[in-house]
Amino acid sequence: MAFIRVGDTIPDGILSYADQAHQIQNVSVHSLAAGKQVILVGVPGAFTPTCGLKHVPGFIEKAEELKSKGISEIILISVNDPYVMKAWAQSYPEDKHVKFFSDSSATYIKNLGLELDVSDRGIGIRSQRFALLIDDLKVKIANVESGGQLKVSSAEDMLSAL
Amino acid sequence: MASNILKRATSSVLKSRVESFLIGASRRSYASVAVGTDIVSAAPDVSLQKARSWDEGVSSNFSTTSVKDIFKGAYTGVCSQQHVPSYQKNIDKFKAKGIDSVICVAVNDPYVLNAWAEKLQAKDAIEFYGDFDGNFHKSLELGKDLSVALLGPRSQRWSAYVVDGKVKSLNVEGAPSDFKVSGAEVILEQI
Repeated sequence: MAFIRVGDTIPDGILSYADQAHQIQNVSVHSLAAGKQVILVGVPGAFTPTCGLKHVPGFIEKAEELKSKGISEIILISVNDPYVMKAWAQSYPEDKHVKFFSDSSATYIKNLGLELDVSDRGIGIRSQRFALLIDDLKVKIANVESGGQLKVSSAEDMLSAL
Repeated sequence: MASNILKRATSSVLKSRVESFLIGASRRSYASVAVGTDIVSAAPDVSLQKARSWDEGVSSNFSTTSVKDIFKGAYTGVCSQQHVPSYQKNIDKFKAKGIDSVICVAVNDPYVLNAWAEKLQAKDAIEFYGDFDGNFHKSLELGKDLSVALLGPRSQRWSAYVVDGKVKSLNVEGAPSDFKVSGAEVILEQI
């Protein structure tokens, strides 16, 4: 399936999260992103090193700078359930702006054409590592990693592209 | 959902003689596993993944452990607050009754499971294994679709006492959110 590219309108879809009362809430992607500039970040797995030690912290650290450049939301998604995403978010007490969302069954990721089969590592279908800059639902920048690295989709990469 | 399995082997290595007495009774008639089931034959060619950090995964080449090598559920409410802790608290009683290992299997990847087990500080008492594609539970017909709760395919909540691969007692909750029959106190009486 062709994946999302610059100039495309992002599809709508449902992401979820576990709220303070540990209840699952759903939210539509369009409701988060319409009329604003947002960054959508995809990662293969909660509690795995590149995601957890480099990619996500980068966005947490640079969140203020990104906001000052007009980014309203930094939306992080992973194919993990909402309870796992909540626990992972809580492991970053310093996080103020990055919002952790769950795409449990990879439905939204597949809609973007950005799924990744990591069954041979024992983790199943996940998201590729990517960062998209979306302006009023239109993709302006699409940085998708090839392989497990962190070369084009980090917070610094997004900052220099803005 | 996390489920607990107790394993006992005689003092010699894993695949030794089968115990001759039967304890307990299956409380469910529609799982393919029941008292007397040989867990290895019920789930042939199924592998589980030991909970581990990514570095351990890399250095072990993402190794899997086949079910036959183990026997000669994470971050959710009942699992975290009741089910796993009940086994942690009672670990000395299990050892005193000759249990070699308490094993917790959940439909999660081994990295999430590892982080959860560390958070619960449970790794000393309990071995955690990930059944990421649910195949282990499907083979035993203990899978449960929790898509309605946005958890996708998971497992029932259950506990089993297994000796040399043979199920001696099996306790399956009526609903995964229950915690009535699968706790440590119940199965301790059955050993």
